[in-house]
Amino acid sequence: MQGLPLSFTNVSKSFSIKGNALHVVDNLSLDCPAGSFTALLGPSGCGKSTLLRLALALETEDAGSVQIAGGMPRSACRSGVVGVAFQDAALLPWRTVEDNIRLPFEVLGRARPEAAHIANLIELVGLKGFERARPGELSGGMRQRVAIARALATDPHVLLMDEPFGALDLILRRQMNLELQHIWSEKRPTTLLITHGVDEAVYLADRVIVLSPRPARIVADIPITFQRPRGTDLLRDAEFHRLCDEIGTWLEHGPAKPSPASRA
Amino acid sequence: MIRVRDHTATLGLVLGLLLLWEVAGQLRWVADGTLPPLSGIFTRLVSEWREYSPHVIATLRSASLGFVFGNVVAVLAAVCFCLWPLTERLFRGINIAAFTVPPIAVAPVLVIALDGDVARITLAALLVYFPTMTAALAGMQSADPGAIDLIRAYGGTDFKLMRHLRLRNALPFIMSGFQVAAPAAVLGAILAEFGSGARWGLGTFLLGSLGRAEPDRLWGIGLTATAIAGLGYALSAILAARMTDTNRAVNVSVAAPAAEAATDSQWKRAMALAAAILLPFLIWQLLLWWAELSPIIAKTPLGVVDYLLTGKTAASAQERLFAALAETIPITIFGMLVGLGVAFGLALLSFTSPIVTRALLPFALVTQTMPLVALTPLAVLVFGRGVTVTLVITISVTFFAAFVVLVQGFALIPRAAFDLVSVYGASTTKKLNLIAIPASRQWIFVAARLALPKALLGVMIAEWLATGKGLGNLLNQSRGYLDYGMIWTVAIVSILLSILLYQLAGLAEWWLSRRPADGSKSWN
Ligand SMILES: Nc1ncnc2c1ncn2[C@@H]1O[C@H](COP(=O)(O)OP(=O)(O)O)[C@@H](O)[C@H]1O
Ligand SMILES: [Mg+2]
Repeated sequence: MQGLPLSFTNVSKSFSIKGNALHVVDNLSLDCPAGSFTALLGPSGCGKSTLLRLALALETEDAGSVQIAGGMPRSACRSGVVGVAFQDAALLPWRTVEDNIRLPFEVLGRARPEAAHIANLIELVGLKGFERARPGELSGGMRQRVAIARALATDPHVLLMDEPFGALDLILRRQMNLELQHIWSEKRPTTLLITHGVDEAVYLADRVIVLSPRPARIVADIPITFQRPRGTDLLRDAEFHRLCDEIGTWLEHGPAKPSPASRA
Repeated sequence: MIRVRDHTATLGLVLGLLLLWEVAGQLRWVADGTLPPLSGIFTRLVSEWREYSPHVIATLRSASLGFVFGNVVAVLAAVCFCLWPLTERLFRGINIAAFTVPPIAVAPVLVIALDGDVARITLAALLVYFPTMTAALAGMQSADPGAIDLIRAYGGTDFKLMRHLRLRNALPFIMSGFQVAAPAAVLGAILAEFGSGARWGLGTFLLGSLGRAEPDRLWGIGLTATAIAGLGYALSAILAARMTDTNRAVNVSVAAPAAEAATDSQWKRAMALAAAILLPFLIWQLLLWWAELSPIIAKTPLGVVDYLLTGKTAASAQERLFAALAETIPITIFGMLVGLGVAFGLALLSFTSPIVTRALLPFALVTQTMPLVALTPLAVLVFGRGVTVTLVITISVTFFAAFVVLVQGFALIPRAAFDLVSVYGASTTKKLNLIAIPASRQWIFVAARLALPKALLGVMIAEWLATGKGLGNLLNQSRGYLDYGMIWTVAIVSILLSILLYQLAGLAEWWLSRRPADGSKSWN
């Protein structure tokens, strides 16, 4: 197991828009132990992406602290232990698929990865035959898969993903979920997955966090205890559906509704 | 398709004009044969090609070397400005000067201070610098924010961002900058040959041919210079098209790339402004010290102050200078206003009869690549040596430059805006009043700022070559009398004048709108 712990401690963050403060994260604490898989759900615009950007040192917290392996996120990112896939694929249009996947190595100043390693990743995300294609020649879903391959390329110890499967159709999404679970079980990177898919969250994660509308606060923290590896038959399991419904209710009604689930 | 009709109209216009030219030449309609028929010009050009070729080669050489050096400096400068925004603010004075400088005013100074060959290359490089620098900087700053985040998320520093993302992103922008820079290099090379005593070069050739009453020779030189500049433009355009399949607007961006940090205190801003103003003078002084030139020939900033204000030459110098300014300034402003007005009127026409303006646009684009200096003598041939020729040149230069900006600016107005008011049954004049005229306000000032240096250059060239009045003439005379103090004074005063007019345009814009429109943050 190579995961490193990620933690948010009493984190607050606000943006100022035309002089008015917009509170996006309010005194939020969340502990992701080494090797855990956490899924983050919440209404659109509640501050999920902001949390992820805080963990990548792309934003600075106003109060509290974000730590990776007990240190600053910035140094963790510099050392190359963090992998990331954003909502929009952010591919460089002049690079081929292969070269886009190689980009993190160049930025980190690492040796060029072996060709077989890149080829494996491309095959894993189902893009065999498109190694030399440029992003302009790919569909939205294909681009997202390149971004996922790129996130995995550096064998990260912390894996941060912001709606990485948003542009995929249902079948492909299931397939990618399966692959992601497979990779995760093998290397056990500490994973934080932002998603809108409740079933995807329950299927993949050890724990599902539901956030309130802006400012983001934790409304529910639900442990998911299904045995791994989880097969596709889990999707038809009654307990699975009960959990999905419960989370759906949390999402719909927010903090008002009491719940049996424990709070972090 | 519109495209086809478009080209047909343009082609028709061009063919019609060429035919008209030929007929007018054959029948000696214009000023007693000063407009020779095209066929005559070409026959003569071909028969005299041996005489042309060393001149062409010399000009090509200085222009290409200047192009290369200017671009290297421009891209390096853009990299610095992007990495350290403070440097952009410090160099703002120099950048504005590089943009507004009338090259004809600095040509004699360069010829004095530098070896002939170096002077020509330097002037070409100087004119190349600004278009490429702004284009490169705009390209670097427009990198995809998502890609920036990604590289930062992997711990990428500013340098890594530059290396992996910004430089490559700027490439198509730089190429489109080249389309402006390449003809500018040709203009710079010719202008610096002008009166430099150089043996070879189209500028020398032109000057040598001025005295002879041979219109077809002058036309031949003018067309050759235009062809070279056009070739540079075409090559850059092809390169740019290979880099990107989206066509970019082909004009110099006059927008300041980076907005100031709103958090800066007044004091800090004032300091940056003061530094930006002082830096050009400091560099001027340092260069002269470094070059170890005689203070009689090469005037320092204080030397110019002494010449113009405190020394025993002051009274006479001031008198001559003010007389020249009184001549040059009104005609520049008048010519500009008329040119802008005509451009505005014709551009508005693009809403009611798009075909006319679309046919005119390629034509206007081509004129942007023409080396003004090689065409002035031709205007003199046709319009004589009076004030008319100065006005014709200034108005047409302003018109074409402004027309290009306005039409391209208007094209950015979303069609949906027009469709919306059409739905409510708006008449054409209503549409113009509701949408086109408000939208054009921003563009007319961009056009003014872009056209201004060209207008001043046009006036000064005409004065130098034809009318014998104003700043251009003062410069020419001072060269004849070896009046170095005046040469430097005219150079610096015309740059300051150009900057002043430029800032006035900014002020007028601010005054009219009271809130700067988004796309037109100016350099002030
Ligand atoms: N850099 C920024 N400047 C100002 N507002 C921002 C910025 N980034 C995000 N916001 C605002 O913060 C809120 C939360 O955004 P985000 O974290 O992207 O939400 P989501 O949960 O949908 O990912 C939104 O209202 C957004 O407009
Ligand atoms: Mg988001």
